[in-house]
Amino acid sequence: MKYRVVSIEQNILRKNDALAQGLRARFAASGTLVVNLLSSPGSGKTTLLQETLARLSRRRRVGALVGDQATDNDARRLAASGAPVKQITTAAECRLDADMIGRALDGWEPGRLDALFIENVGNLICPAEYDLGEDLRIVLFSVTEGEDKPLKYPLAFNTAQLALITKIDIADAVGFDRDAANASIRHVNPGVSILETSARTGAGMDEWIAFVETLIDRKTAAREVSVR
Amino acid sequence: MHELSVALSMIEGIADSAARDGFERVLAVHVRVGALSGIAPEALRFSWKLASAGTLAEDSTLNIEDVPLVVFCERCGSERKPRPASGLICPECATACPIIVRGRDLQLVAVEVPE
Repeated sequence: MKYRVVSIEQNILRKNDALAQGLRARFAASGTLVVNLLSSPGSGKTTLLQETLARLSRRRRVGALVGDQATDNDARRLAASGAPVKQITTAAECRLDADMIGRALDGWEPGRLDALFIENVGNLICPAEYDLGEDLRIVLFSVTEGEDKPLKYPLAFNTAQLALITKIDIADAVGFDRDAANASIRHVNPGVSILETSARTGAGMDEWIAFVETLIDRKTAAREVSVR
Repeated sequence: MHELSVALSMIEGIADSAARDGFERVLAVHVRVGALSGIAPEALRFSWKLASAGTLAEDSTLNIEDVPLVVFCERCGSERKPRPASGLICPECATACPIIVRGRDLQLVAVEVPE
């Protein structure tokens, strides 16, 4: 059959990127810092977030959206902090996308938030491709996971601004090689900040919270400037 | 693992083009898939059959151009292809190269339509 070629040349995820820009504008207007948490299943996203919400909600208005393929167990765990929390059940989807965030926000009225944490689906591949309109992308990496993980999942580590090493309290017991882990993180992202934490013992948590609060203040100040 | 939603987005992109460029059927589709895109070509082929069924692209051929990972090595001053599973390390000088030049591509390139 005779045919002609029609050139299209467009990013297949362009719709997500456009929706994410819309979210970014919305969060800029409300002065809400948005943090997207990526990690494999079992790295400790929910435990970190439980402790983070509990500490921050004493002084700040914070909330969380939690993505999982099934169950609302994580949302129930996080809601114990008293902060507003909403579960997004993604069913077959392996990651959150900007459309899911937009729809979750539409049916939710937590009031104005200083910071919104988004706990992505536990997966280091697919979530790395999807912009959610966040200000800060962090990747969690627990001491039990194998120091070369960043080399296996370079994009997640390359696109993050902060790498949090979690469960540092059991590092010695599992023979965690700190130098090797830091080297593999730097191999894919030389400029990234690295913090060691344990949500259970509180190690590194003050620094993590201080880091988030600095960014909250910066975001609030940016909003005040634009409102004025 | 999100190949089905990628395939559905391709159908949307093709439908937009059909309205713009005036075609009603698609014989073949060309996409570019980067090594770091998180997309497995075989899963995309399988998803394409499902997503295109009953659309203007039903039974079309899917042509996938694999794009290798290419980084820019600042020390060598040139583009390099890291070895598989070595992260973003220059294969020549072993420097970490955070600047990804190619390999994140997920691009709907073109369609072939009846004359």
